[in-house]
This record gives sequence, structure tokens and C-alpha cells, in this order.
Amino acid sequence: MNSNKPAVVIEHLTKRYGGFTALEDLSLTLPAGQILGLIGPNGAGKTTAIKILVGLAKPTSGTARIGDVDCVADARRIKQLVGYMPDRFGSYDNMRVREYLDFFGAAFGIPRRARIQRIEEVLETTNTAYMRDKFVESLSHGMQQRVGIARTLLHDPQVLILDEPANGLDPQARIEMRDLLIRLAKLGKTLIVTSHILPELSRICDRVAILTHGRLRAFGTVDEISRQVSQRRTMEALLASPEQLAVAASVIRELIEPGAEVIEAPADAAVRFKTALLEAQLGELLTQLIQRGIRVTQFREVQTDLEAAFMSFANQKDGEKASIGK
Amino acid sequence: MANPLVQRELITMLRQRRMLLLQCGIATAFGLLVILRWPTEARMALSGTRSQEVFRLFAYGLLSALLLMLPVFPATSIVRERNSGTLALLLNTPLGSRRIFWGKLLAVMGLAGLILCLSLPSATACYALGGISLQGDLLAVYSLLALTALQYSALGLLVSTYATTTDAAVRWTYGLVLLSSVLSLGPYQFFQGTETILAEVGDWFRCASPFAALMSLSGAGGIGAVGLISTTDVAGRFTVISLILTVAYSLWTISRLNHTIFDQARDAGEISDDQDLGTRLLRRVVFIVDPQRRSRAIGPFVNPVMVKEFRCRRFGRLHWLLRLIAICAMLSLGLTYATVTGTVDWGVETIGGILVLMQVALLVLITPSLAAGLLSAERETGGWPLLQMTPLSVLRIVWGKLLSVILTLLLVLCATLPGYVVMVYIEPGLRLQVERVVICLFATAGFAMLLSAAVGSLFRRTASATAMAYAALLAVCGAPLLVWLGRDAPFGHDTVERALLINPVAAALSVIRSTGFRDYQLIPGNWWFLGIGSVVCLLVLIGQTRRISRPQ
Repeated sequence: MNSNKPAVVIEHLTKRYGGFTALEDLSLTLPAGQILGLIGPNGAGKTTAIKILVGLAKPTSGTARIGDVDCVADARRIKQLVGYMPDRFGSYDNMRVREYLDFFGAAFGIPRRARIQRIEEVLETTNTAYMRDKFVESLSHGMQQRVGIARTLLHDPQVLILDEPANGLDPQARIEMRDLLIRLAKLGKTLIVTSHILPELSRICDRVAILTHGRLRAFGTVDEISRQVSQRRTMEALLASPEQLAVAASVIRELIEPGAEVIEAPADAAVRFKTALLEAQLGELLTQLIQRGIRVTQFREVQTDLEAAFMSFANQKDGEKASIGK
Repeated sequence: MANPLVQRELITMLRQRRMLLLQCGIATAFGLLVILRWPTEARMALSGTRSQEVFRLFAYGLLSALLLMLPVFPATSIVRERNSGTLALLLNTPLGSRRIFWGKLLAVMGLAGLILCLSLPSATACYALGGISLQGDLLAVYSLLALTALQYSALGLLVSTYATTTDAAVRWTYGLVLLSSVLSLGPYQFFQGTETILAEVGDWFRCASPFAALMSLSGAGGIGAVGLISTTDVAGRFTVISLILTVAYSLWTISRLNHTIFDQARDAGEISDDQDLGTRLLRRVVFIVDPQRRSRAIGPFVNPVMVKEFRCRRFGRLHWLLRLIAICAMLSLGLTYATVTGTVDWGVETIGGILVLMQVALLVLITPSLAAGLLSAERETGGWPLLQMTPLSVLRIVWGKLLSVILTLLLVLCATLPGYVVMVYIEPGLRLQVERVVICLFATAGFAMLLSAAVGSLFRRTASATAMAYAALLAVCGAPLLVWLGRDAPFGHDTVERALLINPVAAALSVIRSTGFRDYQLIPGNWWFLGIGSVVCLLVLIGQTRRISRPQ
């Protein structure tokens, strides 16, 4: 797959089940070699979008392409291009890990010798070589998730689509999973990952798409999305003592936009406020505070993290559509 | 209700839509059974013979329905709770193992009671016809049915404590029910009338079967009584055996309901290849094909789905197949040798009859367990989307799955064939009959496989698929035999022949000219039925596989 071409292109994708709209007018593009985090509450349409991408569901309207291949019209070729790991492992009884991988390798038509070698490679990549003789049903959840990724890598797909890979993992296993996904991206794979564990996603994803009620609410890098959440930045002035809080708050109210939210936090000796002022204007505000004898120990912007952004979009009603970046 | 489990189990069971269908089905079926044989003549016989005939047929039907429908509920009861994690929660409550067991047993008995209650209108219709007594017939039969329900419910719960999956629990329970209710009749049929210890043992085995007890209560002779009158109190013996077994099963199950049920280490995945030469050689001698040896990669010309099916089946590994085949071959030859050298009165037909019965029983026992879960197991474990994501076509997947069953059944059938070779050697004139029997058996195997796979494909859960496949197959193989039991009265020769036409067991027995079946001409009609039935089942299976493979 050419790295200049987008790896995944979704255009106006809509999926309806009778009267229920699972996905509405989803459009996004993902360049090759990037990791896209697909986040949203339960029933947001993440799995529906993934199923359409891997050819397991047909859209009501719109198109989805992986590389140059249409996900609906050419589902057979999609199978070679995509490695899909559903949210359920798909265990078989009485099968050892190597036999399990051997079966899927054979199902993908990988010749015997190449398959034996490929199995060893994916076991090494996913750090699961020590599990090769264990029975798949006896593996812990974290181990199964890694074997699941090894399975998706067998036929060397360009795009990996992983549904909730970090779900149910302990912190150690989550860190290992995160490192594994980063390693795969470095190998040139394009990854689409859904997760509820947002701090994990914010660390590894190049782009994030937030879905709620079947609609795309935001799409872009974590920073871009944070900015979309609020055009006004949240600023914080930490004071040396809480006695000056009232004075500091009145100075700030004077100098920022009228009616803007200003909150006094006596416990932290801090004043927090939302403003659209530019850097120079903020510098002037700080100067004024100091000139009026207020002892400011810190003056900074409070970062909006992915969780806050997600909550902001999740709480939006359908009518309140945020500006969407593409 | 004092035991919260009874309420939860019974109410949740009855809340299901299929239970409503089941109840309506049972009531309708029993109603039809009675209407079918209800006298329509203007004159009534005062002897009550007609009423007894109707009641006998009704009682067999009721017992068969109970044995077909009930075992699935206790069989899945504990294993399902264990796998979903609620058994651990239950054991953590002050209920205790005894109350948990009784709660579950009472819930199943409640269901059995419901089935029996649904049959009461039909039973009272028989009673109203006259000729049957309230205590001697009605009450005795219903007591026997209740005892049977109790025994098999306790058995199902015991199996459920050992099984790791619901479908395995269903398989084992139905297998054991079939063994103790039908196959236990076998030894007596062949050793009756002789003064040997084998005859006595066979007589006791027979008494463990509720069918034998019911026949004794309803005044019918044994299935293959060949004119001999037995003085054994079959119903009395059955009561004693059933009560002892119920108590034993109950105590055994209660002793298993504690933390030890979860206290199982994960398989370490030991491999013989990593062990020393002595151990490897010893394992080779013991297993011939060592199950712990590293298996080779799947070959280039092999259907990978077939190999996967063999590998993930507990008894699909080669060492198990070899054992099964060896046992079949030894049984087949041993039976032929023993009967030929030990009993001068037995004709080759009798020996052939035993062989046919053994083979069909084996087919009925193992085929649904192999074929019913072919699709549902994939859907239940989440393997189906993974298979869909491979380039394998639907037909190749289905063919790979069927091939794994075909090969197993072929091996099993071929292993039982040496007995026929001995028969033909003893009496060369039987060659044509034996050839026809072999065709019957292969047709039966194919039909049983496709019927089980087609019925199983309609269900999402493997346990339901397995239970319904057993029910369908047993209905085809067993229901016509109920008509055959009433071959002199109330059913005439033509009616019995028409009913037996769909029965592969009867067809094989008629070809081998076994006692009770030699008067019926079932070939080639039965072959046509099996052939058309197999094609229909295959189409259903392919259609269902295509349906679930289609993008949603």
C-alpha cells in the first residue's frame, strides 16, 4: 500500500436496522501507518463501523474503502488486506496456540513452510513464543488478547482492526498491549482501535474519532479535539495565600470577557477562568495581577484531556453538533 | 417458595417462549395420540381391550417424550451456572450444597410435573373409555414416570457437575439415558430362556430400563419376548434400582457442589517432545499416537477446517479414534465368536440383529454429538466471525466440517464390519442380505449426520443444538418403533409398515430378517426416504450457513 495514499477512506456511511440508525453519515480518512482510536459509549456505532470495514455488515448507504478496495463490493480482497480482532477471542477447545495459529494460517492459504516460519515471527512480535504449546482455552484473558493479535498478523495485513484490545486487561497487560500496538504501527501497519480506556488511547493514537448515537462528533488529533471541546481555554492562577482570592477574582473579571466564568477555589488557593484572550493579553492580565500586589505563584493553562473531551461530546444532544475536523 | 433456587430456575425456565411452544406441543401431541386410536365404531367392546391399547400407546409416548425433553434441563443446569460465574456466587451464599442441589432438582421435577400434568386430559380420556383402573394402571404408570423423571434428573445434575461445557453435558446425559433406558434391554433379548449367569445379568439390566417396567405394568410382553413368559417383577425391580440410583446420584452430586468444582489448575500444556527418550518411548507404546506430541502443520491438500474439527474435538484426536475403532472391531468380532461358539440355537439372523442394533445404537449415540454443534459451536464461542474473515468459502467450511464427521463415522462403521465377514463366511447365502444391511447402515450414518447438522444449524447454542438433534434423530429412530410395539393391536400390518418406512433401524433389521421385522418390506422405500431426507437436510444446512455468513 502506497504510504502517500490514505489507508482507510469512509464516506457518508450510514447503517440502519429497521427504524434504528446505528451509524449516520460517517466520513473520515486515515493515512497509512497511523493509529486511529475509535471511541464512544456503548451503542455509539463503533462496532457497526468496524463490521462494515471488514465486510461483515453492509451499509445502508455510503462507501468504505481499504486502500483501493471497496469493503462491500470486494469483501474477498478485504479479507487479505485486513486483520480483524473482534471483542471476543474465538477460542477452540483442546487446541494449542501453535495449532490454533496453524489453522488460521492454513485457512488464509499460507503455504506450509512459510506458515511455520510466519507463526514463529508473529509469536515473537507479540511476545507469545513461550505460549506456543499451551492450550488456548487455558490462557488468561491478557494472553488470549495477545494471541488474538498474533492471529490477525498471520497473513501480514496492511490494516489491523482491533475491537477493544485492552478490555479487561490488568495494568501490566495494558502497558504491554500499548507497547505492542506502538510496535505494530512502527512496522508500518495502519491500526484502528476501539477502546473505553481513554488515557491509553490518547497515548498511542495519532488520531481519534469520537462517536455518539451513531454520529461522528469529533475527529482529529487529541490536541485538535481538545481545542474543539472549547474555543475558550481554561486558565488557572495559583496564589500564595487564599486571602487574596477575592481580589484576584475581581481583577480577572475586570480584564477578561464580560460574563465569563470565574471560579474561586479556596482549598487550592486558585482562581480558574475560561477565556478566549490571546497570549499577549494573558501576559497583560498577569502583569496587572502582580502590579496590584497579588502574589501569583503559578499562572497556566489547564489542559483538556481526552476523557474530558469525550465526556463533553458524550453529553451533547443530537442537535448540538460540534465542528468536525476531517 | 422456601428455596429461592426453585423459584428462579423454574420461573426463568417457564418464562422462555420455547417453553410455551413445548407445552402447547405436548398437549396437542398427546391429544392427537388418543384421538388417533379412539374407537369410532358405533359398538363398544366391554372387555376394555381397545382402551388398554390406547393407554399403552399413550404411556409409551409419554415416557419417550419425558426422556427426550427432560434431560437437557438438569444436564445444563450446573455447568451453565459454573461457566457464567453464578455458581460461585451461589456457593458463597448460606444456601449450602444440599439446598442448591434440592433447589435445582425440584425445579426440574416441577417441569417434569408440568409435562405429566399436560398429559392428564388425554389420560383421563383413556380412563373414561373404561378398561383401565385408576390405581392399577393410571397411578402406577404416573408413579413410574415420576420415578423415571427423578432418576434421570439426578443423573443429569451429576453429569453437569463434571462437564466443562453445556454441549458436553447434554451429550453425556443423553448417551447415558439411551444406554440405561434402551440399550439395557439388549442383553436380555439375546440371553433369555437360557439358564446362564448371563441371562440373569441381562434380566437385571432389563429391569433398569423404564421401558421394560412400563411394558410390565401395561401388561405387554418384552420387546423380543419370543413367546417366553417372564416371572420377574420388572416394575418392582425397576423401583428399587431407580431409587438406589437416585440416592447415589444425589449424594454424589452434593459431594461435588463445593469449591473443588472450581479448583482445577490450568493445563500446563506439557509436550512429549521436550521429555526424555524413555518417557517418549513409553508414551508411544501406551498411546501409539501420542496426544502430547507436537502436531505437524496442516498439509497443503487438506481442508484446514476438517483438521481443526478433529483437533478441537476431545475425542477427535487420533489416539481416541484408534481406541474407538479397536473397541468396535473387538466387540464386533467378539460378539460373533461368542454367539457362534456358545449358542447353537441362534441363527445367523439373530447375530446379525445384534450387530445391526449395536451399530445403529452407536450411530445414534455418537452422530448428534459430532454433527449437531458444527455451526452452533462456532457461533457460541465467537469463532464464526473469525472463519468469515478467512478466504475460505462457505461450501469449503461446511465440507470440512462434514468431512470430519464422515471420516469418523466411516472408521467406526468399517471397524464393525468384520463381524459381517464372519457371518458371510458361516453362511455364504447371506451375502446379498449383508450387502443390503451395509448399505442401510451407511445410509443411516449419512442421514443421521445431515439431520443432526441441519437441526443443529438452526440453533445458536450448542447445548440446544445437540439436544434438538438427539430429539430429532431419536424421534425418527424411536417413534416408529412405538407403532411397531402395537403391531398386532391396535395397529395393523400396513400401518406399521408405513410407519417403519422412515425408520433406518427397522429397515436394517428387516433386511437381516430379524425377529419381528422380517414380515415388513421396507427396502427400497426406506432408502428413498433417507436419500430425500438427506438431500433436504443438506440444503437446509447450506442455506443456514449461507444465511449466517451473509453481511448483516
